[in-house]
Amino acid sequence: MTEDAAETIVVVDDDYAMRLSCERILSKTGFAVHTFEDGARGLAAVADLRPALVLVDLKMPGLSGMEVIPRIREIDPTAVIVVITGYATIGTAVDAMKAGAYDFLPKPFSPDELRLIVRRGLERRRLELDSRQCEIERELMKRRFVSFVSHQLKTPLVAVHQYLEVLDRLGDTPDMSVKAREWIGRCLARTDEMRQLIDDWLTLSRIEGGSLGRQRADADLHDTLTHLIESYRPAAGERRITLALDAATPLPVHADPTCLAVLFDNLIGNAVKYNRDGGAVEVVAERSEGEILVTVRDTGVGIPADAMPFLFEEFYRVPREGAPVPGTGLGLPIARRIALELGGTITVESTAGEGTTFQVRLPRHLDEPAPGEEVP
Amino acid sequence: MSDTKRILVIDDDADFTESVRSLLEAEGYEVFTAASGTAGLRQLAGVKPHAILLDVMMESSTEGYGVSDAIKHHDEYAAYRDVPVLMVSSIQESPDERFPRAPETDLIRPDRYFTKPLDIPKFLEVLARVTHRR
Repeated sequence: MTEDAAETIVVVDDDYAMRLSCERILSKTGFAVHTFEDGARGLAAVADLRPALVLVDLKMPGLSGMEVIPRIREIDPTAVIVVITGYATIGTAVDAMKAGAYDFLPKPFSPDELRLIVRRGLERRRLELDSRQCEIERELMKRRFVSFVSHQLKTPLVAVHQYLEVLDRLGDTPDMSVKAREWIGRCLARTDEMRQLIDDWLTLSRIEGGSLGRQRADADLHDTLTHLIESYRPAAGERRITLALDAATPLPVHADPTCLAVLFDNLIGNAVKYNRDGGAVEVVAERSEGEILVTVRDTGVGIPADAMPFLFEEFYRVPREGAPVPGTGLGLPIARRIALELGGTITVESTAGEGTTFQVRLPRHLDEPAPGEEVP
Repeated sequence: MSDTKRILVIDDDADFTESVRSLLEAEGYEVFTAASGTAGLRQLAGVKPHAILLDVMMESSTEGYGVSDAIKHHDEYAAYRDVPVLMVSSIQESPDERFPRAPETDLIRPDRYFTKPLDIPKFLEVLARVTHRR
């Protein structure tokens, strides 16, 4: 398909001399050429040989070229049709193009003219096939992704359904009443998971679709981080995890406040969630070189090196030993998406068993020099 | 009871295995569970199951197919080649749809394919049949 030599060309012309010269010229160029003297035979050959290109004489006894063109299109819409005729007029050319011909070759023509028009036709076909292939692959990927997302969304729903149905079936047996209590708790946890999943999925879709992140306002990241850290104090306290914030002030950014909060909520949330009891979370935010640099460091379980490449992929969860940690696998993709949307970056470093450090760089808003800007 | 049939449930969703366990135990089966494909394969020799209930999407989206392929074709598991494998997934699809033109499709086709949540009466009927309880 990439080499001219591999391609088949069918010539349909009632003029013997014409068939002979086309065959000679094109065979010499390296094409596999087959010639036919009337439309009916030509069409049968198109169906049989699946040529890349068909040269059709317009004026033939029996089926005329004009009748043959749409039927070739029907057999194989990717076949390129070039019309040959002795009475070239604008009118017939337009008619042939309308019927589906790609180009027009008036008799008499030189071998170079024939070769040129054939090459051009085949090149166009290649481009068309390539883009069609790309489209098919894109479509396939989209379908696989949709099927994967529905699987993720269905999983908690299915677990809850199954509990309820088994409860319904075995409801009267004695040991079921104990189980029922426990199962209700588990069902509630799964419905929470499902709600979170849908929320996260919506957030991600909104950022990607552009409906979130566009409403920018001047904000001080110092305040955003302070609020977030405070909101995690109770959960962290339960597991004796210390939370420390060292943020310069002000940290002026021009960003959607919701996005900004979601971005750091995900990072600080993970730092608490994947920490060890008695561990520490440290958030440092500073100004540097027109940027704001936020570091979120934890002393948690860390991320194994082989999991690193997948960290920001939708629904990816780092495989963990022991009891599953609740999560949607969307937090980091969301964080990354937001960072990019705000013109920033997000990077991660981790040592398994020791902890993880996320670093976010955001453009600093420089419209007006903030008071105390020059003072460290 | 010596003729109790043993079922190995391989699924990474602890809640799904929990409800299936209760369901099957109430039916008189003995239930063993594994949370991953490799854990399931490791348990084969110890459990010697009469049937296997196998989830398709675990850590990878086709992990279950790898497990059924191993059971049906790897010499290591030759002793369990004839153990019926019932596949489950919450996506409505058969292996043919997932691997439309792959010649291996036939090799990894499980004995039965179920969607989650299970159609309980049909599932119990098939399970009883393949374990020769009925």
